[in-house]
Amino acid sequence: MFDYDSRPVTPSVVLIGSRASVDAYAIRDFLTRNGRPYDWVDADEQPPGEDARLPLVTLPNGARLEGATVETVAAGLGMIAAPRLSEYDLTIVGAGPAGLAAAVYGASEGLRTVVVEAVAPGGQAGTTSMIENYLGFPGGISGSQLASRATTQAEQFGAEILLARPVVGLDFAGGRFLTRLSDGTRITARALISATGVEWRRLDLPGVDRMLGAGVYYGAGPSEAPGCRGAHVVIVGGGNSAGQACMRFSRYAGQVTLLVRGPSLAASMSQYLLDKLATTENIEVRCGTQVVGVEGDAHLEAIRVASRGGTEETVRASALFICIGGVPRTKPVQALPLVQDSSGYFVTGTELASGGMPEGWPLARQPLPLETNLPGLFAAGDVRSGSIKRCAAATGEGAMAVALVHRYLAETGGD
Amino acid sequence: MTELLAPNPEFATVAPVERLDAAAAALRGNGIEALVVGSGAEARQAVLDRLPDGAEVFNNTSRTLETIGIAEDIERSGRYRAVRLELYQMDREMQKREMRKLAAAPDHVVGSVHALTEGGSLIIASASGSQLGPIASGAGRVILVVGGQKLVPDLETGLRRVREYCYPLENERALGTYGVPSGVNNVLVVNRVLSPGRVTAILVREPLGF
Repeated sequence: MFDYDSRPVTPSVVLIGSRASVDAYAIRDFLTRNGRPYDWVDADEQPPGEDARLPLVTLPNGARLEGATVETVAAGLGMIAAPRLSEYDLTIVGAGPAGLAAAVYGASEGLRTVVVEAVAPGGQAGTTSMIENYLGFPGGISGSQLASRATTQAEQFGAEILLARPVVGLDFAGGRFLTRLSDGTRITARALISATGVEWRRLDLPGVDRMLGAGVYYGAGPSEAPGCRGAHVVIVGGGNSAGQACMRFSRYAGQVTLLVRGPSLAASMSQYLLDKLATTENIEVRCGTQVVGVEGDAHLEAIRVASRGGTEETVRASALFICIGGVPRTKPVQALPLVQDSSGYFVTGTELASGGMPEGWPLARQPLPLETNLPGLFAAGDVRSGSIKRCAAATGEGAMAVALVHRYLAETGGD
Repeated sequence: MTELLAPNPEFATVAPVERLDAAAAALRGNGIEALVVGSGAEARQAVLDRLPDGAEVFNNTSRTLETIGIAEDIERSGRYRAVRLELYQMDREMQKREMRKLAAAPDHVVGSVHALTEGGSLIIASASGSQLGPIASGAGRVILVVGGQKLVPDLETGLRRVREYCYPLENERALGTYGVPSGVNNVLVVNRVLSPGRVTAILVREPLGF
């Protein structure tokens, strides 16, 4: 199949920017993760020839956005929808696997369901190039495709999905959860599921923040793969995300180096990925190593790597993808006094109090499984303390949370 | 540099309505649903009437479809599962097999033809060949919009139309859009359709496409 057979024929977004621009990367990442076709023009190679503020975006309707941001592009593409209802049965915060599963089950079982998502459907799994052990897809499925299909499925059942706006406030009063989005949108619902997942753990090294989007990326950076043809790409991490990133970039890059802090990958990565890494010629796995510095002016040029024995070397590379695990993304719902474990994950169910009632718990019954210390507010997927950090586990928790929401709504009347 | 050929103007004239009506009758005789409409707008509506909401639809690369707005309806309205958008989201290197399968057997294909004979045969040429398999048998339903200038007396003239009229125009478009020349590399002739209702041809009494 030729590439032109698999592209839309109607005009795409045209994005002109510098490869060293963090803002341009944010737009590339946003468009890619939302499956929005775009043409990228590297202004360093093809200057726009006009005194325009970059990034410059031309929309399919011909509108030009100078100094474009994710927010202006999302608005220009009509992706900012207002909620259709004044009140919902269920608000789901986060459209990763757990949130989308909850949306499908909630809407299909008759709950008035709305999902709010800061960036794009799919969550961390949405950036995965190929999930090969997800039930029912023997040929594997990409994270973005899984997210896209789940979004379609949820919408077919009547769920609303509001994208590209983070949650900036959350209150609970009068038996209702009031969620406020960054553009002022307010959503009222009788129950809430936090499916906010995790965000990438930051690599705390000088220079990393400065080069974010300019050669240094968190996660697999799906928008960047085609730009890495023939290049040397370095990936840091020992989990499945790092392994999947290696496999993706091995198809594009000349050489992929995986840096792993621990002595081996056996305990942290699925066997099928270990097998693939071992048999892919242009992937080198270096255990017992860590990044200690990044070098480059406008764009990443080299990485300083230290081995366990203390030896330090400089490795030339044009891209560094950091996949060193996640930290819970609790900020969207942190306005409420929810119990978190020592790592920040939301504590739910019987874990809230062993054998008794949680402190301040207002009901006669114990918290339901997946229910936080605030009745009617559930946590599902990676953000929940004790959850299994796998895509299938997250979807299972999303579906399970909806069944528990039904029980909560039945208690409060009107279910 | 590739020399651009001038299209033969002999093939640019819309056929009289009675000849289009006769061709539609011949198509029906060959198992192809056929209707004649007066304008691109009517053709667009006729296509939309045949696509259920939420349907999986692959729109072929076609100047006709772009001109009447159907390409935009399919890709941008949100009413359909646009196969092109799904393909676009897939990883070119990791998902070649899935891409090939998805493109080969969509539920609905909407496209055009390069010539229609008075005897009710359809001629479609393709550089890559990707359009032809789904039209011949892969797609569940096929809807073809045919500008009235594409009617020719017979297969021989139809193939000449492909070479002398369609190819020069398509070659110029391909060079401008993709930077590569086109080619009459694959040709499909549909003489008869065995599954009633699988293929629809919408003949338009105005010139559309190449």
